[in-house]
Amino acid sequence: MRSAPRKRKITAILIGLFLSLVTAACALYLLSVRTASSGCIAEIYQNGRLIRTIALYQVQEPYTIEIHGEGGCVNRIEVRPGSIGVTWADCPDRLCVRQGFVRSPAIPVTCLPNKLVITLRAADPIRSAGPDMITY
Amino acid sequence: MNTKKLTTLALYATLSLAVYAAESALPPLAPIPGLKLGLANIVTQILLRRGSPKDASLVLAVRILLSALLFGQAMSLLYSLAGGFLSLLVMWPVNRLLSGKYAPLTGAMGGLAHNVGQLATALIVTATPGVLSYLPFLAPAGILTGLFTGLCAQLADRYLPRRPL
Repeated sequence: MRSAPRKRKITAILIGLFLSLVTAACALYLLSVRTASSGCIAEIYQNGRLIRTIALYQVQEPYTIEIHGEGGCVNRIEVRPGSIGVTWADCPDRLCVRQGFVRSPAIPVTCLPNKLVITLRAADPIRSAGPDMITY
Repeated sequence: MNTKKLTTLALYATLSLAVYAAESALPPLAPIPGLKLGLANIVTQILLRRGSPKDASLVLAVRILLSALLFGQAMSLLYSLAGGFLSLLVMWPVNRLLSGKYAPLTGAMGGLAHNVGQLATALIVTATPGVLSYLPFLAPAGILTGLFTGLCAQLADRYLPRRPL
């Protein structure tokens, strides 16, 4: 029969191990996220629906688009060569504007009040432009 | 509930609302939605240590409702409720298992649960799996801020005047 303090210590160590494991897993994942050397494709979601896809690596000149949501909410999005961000919004906290411009798939831009999410994924021009299959 | 207990809990609710207000006046730590210190969680943890889970959830509910009325929008109410109560639901058994010792660990588990609950709500509200890419940031952040609030709760519990609840 183990004493109570000892049992407590074991529980504490187990919890500590669990928390370290979660942290390590997250760190490993963030390190392994593919850095998009070939450029990114931005996908704009509203209410979970994909409403626009923009190949950022093909953008030559910056331009802005406006996304209107339900209830008349607006997000002004600026598309730049290789990056994308929200420059103006009518949401209360403007956290989407503060997130700035993103250029990596590691982190999306989100405007929770307007239910707008911009995610990036790595474009793979080699796979899309090359042959489907090579056999020898 | 007698008058004395009601008054004490109301005081705790006021304290946590004040801490919440002070924290929202600070600039955001990082431009990631949902990332914050969560200082009001200190009060929840003190109540878990001194009172019962019922006391803690009462004060938590009052604080969340009042803060949404005073500072927030309807949306933030949903996130706070999901995060706050999932956090409490996790901290209660952890605090019991550790019998109040190793308070930072309780806080860290609570912080992790809070951010997971919030992100799950965001996933449901936006219906976009893309928001899950915040998880690798929010999970360690919740653990880190939780370690801090847990430590704060332990110290506050030691130095605040001890009155029976």
